[in-house]
Amino acid sequence: MTPGPSGEPAPVDLRAEVRRATAALARPGTPGRVAGATSDLSVDEALLLHAVGWEVLDLVCGVSVYSVPLGVWSWGQGEITAASAAHRAAFQGAAARLAAEAARAGGQGVVGVRVGVEVRPHSIHVELVGTAARPAGSSRAGRPFVSDLSGRDFALLVQAGWMPLGLAFGAGFVYAPRRSAATALTQKARNVELTNLTDAMYSARESAMARMQEAALDMGGHGVVAVTVTEGPMGFARHAVGFSAWGTVVRLEAPSHRSLAPQVVVPLDDPVVTFEAQALRGS
Amino acid sequence: MPDSEVTRGGGDRPLPAGAEPDGGAVPEAADRRLHSGSFSSGLSVPDFAACLQMGIEPVALVQGFCVMRWAWYGAGSPYLRGVTPYSTGAGTYVSNYRCPHGFVSTDHRTWGQNYEQTWVEEAWSEGFGSAYQRMLDEATEAGAHGIVGVADTTRHLGDLGVTEFHITGTAVVVRDGDPPPGGAPWTTYLAGQRLAKLFEAGFVPVSVAAALSSVRVWAYCMTEYLMEGGALGWKASTVQEAAQVVDAHMASYQIAREHVRSQLGGDLLHGARMGVQQRNLGEGDEVVECRLVGTRVRRFRDGARLAPPLPTVRLS
Repeated sequence: MTPGPSGEPAPVDLRAEVRRATAALARPGTPGRVAGATSDLSVDEALLLHAVGWEVLDLVCGVSVYSVPLGVWSWGQGEITAASAAHRAAFQGAAARLAAEAARAGGQGVVGVRVGVEVRPHSIHVELVGTAARPAGSSRAGRPFVSDLSGRDFALLVQAGWMPLGLAFGAGFVYAPRRSAATALTQKARNVELTNLTDAMYSARESAMARMQEAALDMGGHGVVAVTVTEGPMGFARHAVGFSAWGTVVRLEAPSHRSLAPQVVVPLDDPVVTFEAQALRGS
Repeated sequence: MPDSEVTRGGGDRPLPAGAEPDGGAVPEAADRRLHSGSFSSGLSVPDFAACLQMGIEPVALVQGFCVMRWAWYGAGSPYLRGVTPYSTGAGTYVSNYRCPHGFVSTDHRTWGQNYEQTWVEEAWSEGFGSAYQRMLDEATEAGAHGIVGVADTTRHLGDLGVTEFHITGTAVVVRDGDPPPGGAPWTTYLAGQRLAKLFEAGFVPVSVAAALSSVRVWAYCMTEYLMEGGALGWKASTVQEAAQVVDAHMASYQIAREHVRSQLGGDLLHGARMGVQQRNLGEGDEVVECRLVGTRVRRFRDGARLAPPLPTVRLS
């Protein structure tokens, strides 16, 4: 979009642009810096990355599958260390493969990473898929960062002077301790807190959050944004509680945070009035 | 060939009953609909309005179907374990795994293999490609320049080993625009505002690009133990990476990307959707399939960098 005489962006004649574009199909495309690039970003995200000086390179992925030894989900006490260790190792393995693929593509980071985690009785699967990107034209080598932030969030971070450093994650799996027969009988006809489950949830959550924050500190980050959490009893072992958390580690690269000073807007759109089928029934 | 099927002029692809063999490439009912005098469209009202704003006018809702028999055990399938323990699979992905234990018992899996199932990939390509071509035929019949808002579904019909491919979209003409080179309409998953932004950014959609990769895992002893928690009295006591399964997943991603890249011809793939399906076959065996689709786009002019966007907060 080129600025007009008054400094305002000149409106684009979209119809002429579409005619010009479709006529151009008859000849080869304008060679860009990155031929054959692939991306799972939306148009908006790709444009936003471009606006902050980054270009997309390639769709990249990382997978890791770790075994969970037989019998670890049986009744027990405390943390299920083998499951927590398998989760950590699977996440690290997948993130390392994703970063390696991005580095091979010439990327300095991976944005919009989709995180897939599946905990099975005998294995933990982690799959990460995202788009490798780099500052336009840059050829600097180095370990790319991995981030599950969308293109929009990444652009906002960069504008505000922050940079993502990597994906931090943590998980905790604990047994919900059994109640004694006497306790169970006492509680049978009363409304009481099941402290064993409360404690198990607390313990799992604190372990996972602590591990995530330790990972962030190891990367030299100032904090973790957009944390995603999953929690609850395991479907195949109801007496075991799992809690996992992951998010993007960020660090302030600018001397100080740059305020984006968002403009307040008041939309004047009429709300869409839709037909309410229930109204026909008089209710 | 059954009576209900006829062959398209010069081609070898069967058409559904009622199709005209030489009057065109589309079934008679579709032909009547396409020439009925009114347009149809799968666009939402905002997308419809945005397309009109761009000078893109809908002509007809077009679609293509193809139902394929999925011959998992058919000719060429090295399905049976032990038939090809160390085949090289010329030109395709094969990775072999050897047992580290030596002879244990006759049940012990002394070898394992990851194997690209090219016959599955080819069947998927044929099904998707046939449905896609039928949609293009309808659009061409309607005199369209392009197809926007393409949506595709693939579903298994019952448990019959039969898969249905269905591709639909809205055929459009560009007002005062040139017909597409070669007569084949351009296609895109995008429509409305997102398509307008693509044009504004200096890209033109060329076609939909899609591929499936399929990798079969024949587990060897270690994979079986790791994925099943143990076997034959042996029990893993530490966590360990199932390297064979990881290799299969990474390979399926890689193969799908290579298949799609081979369709790009130097253009770019935009808005890709990549998903993996895993089917466990027991004892560590599994099939990993990766489906990758997106819109192939071509740069028609250098895209000027946008000014950094203005952040806003809505009051409502």
